[in-house]
Amino acid sequence: MDIKDFKKISDVLWELPKTFRKDMRAAARVYATDEMLKDMMKDRSLQQLVNTATLPGIVGSAMVMPDAHEGYGFPIGGVVATKFPDGIISPGGVGYDINCGVRLIKTEMHFDDLRPEAESLGRQLFHAVPSGVGRGGTLKLGIGEMDKVLKLGAKWMVREGYGTGDDLEHIESGGCLSNADCDVVSDHAKKRGADQLGTMGAGNHFVEVDRVESVFDEETARAFGIFEGQIVVLIHMGSRGLGHQIATDHIRTVLKAMPKYGITLPDNELACVPLSSNEGTDYYNAMAAGANFAWANRQMITHEVRRAWETVFGTGAGRLDILYDVAHNMAKIENHSVGGIVQKLIVHRKGATRSFGPGHPDIPSEFREVGQPVLIPGSMGTASYILAGTEKSMLESFGSCCHGAGRKMSRHAALKEVEGRELREQLDLSGIHIESGSMRGLAEEAPLAYKDVDEVCEVVERAGIARKVARLKPVIVVKG
Amino acid sequence: MRLYKVIGHTADLRLKVEGDSLRELFTAALEGMASILKKGVSAGGEAGVGESAELIEIEASGPTLLLIDFLSEVLTRSQIEKKVFMKVEFDELTDTSAKARVYGAGVTDFDEDIKAATYHEADVRKNKAGKYETVIVFDI
Repeated sequence: MDIKDFKKISDVLWELPKTFRKDMRAAARVYATDEMLKDMMKDRSLQQLVNTATLPGIVGSAMVMPDAHEGYGFPIGGVVATKFPDGIISPGGVGYDINCGVRLIKTEMHFDDLRPEAESLGRQLFHAVPSGVGRGGTLKLGIGEMDKVLKLGAKWMVREGYGTGDDLEHIESGGCLSNADCDVVSDHAKKRGADQLGTMGAGNHFVEVDRVESVFDEETARAFGIFEGQIVVLIHMGSRGLGHQIATDHIRTVLKAMPKYGITLPDNELACVPLSSNEGTDYYNAMAAGANFAWANRQMITHEVRRAWETVFGTGAGRLDILYDVAHNMAKIENHSVGGIVQKLIVHRKGATRSFGPGHPDIPSEFREVGQPVLIPGSMGTASYILAGTEKSMLESFGSCCHGAGRKMSRHAALKEVEGRELREQLDLSGIHIESGSMRGLAEEAPLAYKDVDEVCEVVERAGIARKVARLKPVIVVKG
Repeated sequence: MRLYKVIGHTADLRLKVEGDSLRELFTAALEGMASILKKGVSAGGEAGVGESAELIEIEASGPTLLLIDFLSEVLTRSQIEKKVFMKVEFDELTDTSAKARVYGAGVTDFDEDIKAATYHEADVRKNKAGKYETVIVFDI
């Protein structure tokens, strides 16, 4: 593959025609600058993108966002829509961390008021949110309770006292996908997740306290309740072992079923079946259960964050309200206009965020006019962004945009470049307090391992599939 | 003879495994996965002595899927029981079925959160030297 194989549609959008490879059923599009595109050619991101363009029932183009990097099956940053109901659904197109996503909690506090207590708050958050690999949380779910979590997601958590009705209104899909079916979630999956509700895990998951460093769009920021100097909390995690096991179980089932539907693919991790098939429906309903678990998880952590806040600042520290909670590993049935005709589609987003534009009925009423909040966590030493969805994203990218900075360096390479304790000291000097159970894990997530989040967000804005609203600067980062 | 080696991947982890026989290949893959889950657990399973065995029975359409399904099953039990399985004894191993006992030791935590053993790039085949080999990508 060479840059000459691409047609340049705009300065940040490239297209590989359907003729590039015989088995492609659609064109493949890349949101990137020239340099980013060249960088993507250094790993298998673009071959994986081309592979997704072979999926049966694909509509429009297969796409990757500017934070794309090599995954397995789908590239990370991939978006693929298929026809409903007979187009395919691919568990690999969602990934093992079902409904990995980001939640932003707004506080009423200004940075100047937090600064003296930053260390104390960091320690409190670290103790409140269990992190690391294999460590369970305080809430242990029996099978009956687990089924309720799988069926009701964040709604169950609110019923149990871990949040408010207002929280639910500020979560994608209200924090509950109604098609969730506990019977298609294995006992193994339920056991794997039994002690993981309210836990962070490891890797790139975190709880981060940020200050709003700059606001780009005053009107939208006002609608979102965001102001300069404000302290906000970002929570990034997913469905933990429960989701991983759902994916493992169903990829295996789907892989075995493919010959029945005459499906052959260039990569087993793309395993897929028609959504309308028994195997497809079972996966979709199991995925919904996994997604509900993830929303319940982020709700539990929100509860712990609120408690930590109260412990450090007392009861008069103001409200902690959810701005929004977005998934970036999910397949959803949505209506989109294709060639001027509104169609029901199955939209896979793997490392891509839903970014619905102004007026969409699924956006909470108080900011429906300005578009959906899109939350983009960067690396822990740089910045994160609040974006807003646009009309163009509805027309061009099935209401999707990027999900983060995107890795550019393997964990092993990062470990060779940086030492955890040294990194923590460097970040501390730049005003970022780190709490982490693993210095090795910290080094693996070093900022140098990631692309430039400013550039990624600049590209989606220039492409018109999201608008920059505010840039956030980390103050406290709590990692596994 | 068997060996495993971790090689680069942008976001996840690639393990290259090799063995004189299918049995050695599966054993190398298990040991490789154990070494990722917990540094310092060694091949041969010293730490597994005295631990009870878990029986694993898997069927698949070929050796590649069989290997990944075998690792997935071991991983699932690792995560549920908080154990690292580093030793395996096969009662039966063909291209399409495996019956094995795996031995593990309890751990308080893992070094790496392996979400899954993926089918991506996995391709069990004999190389020019007559050894079985494959690459396995773990989602971490």
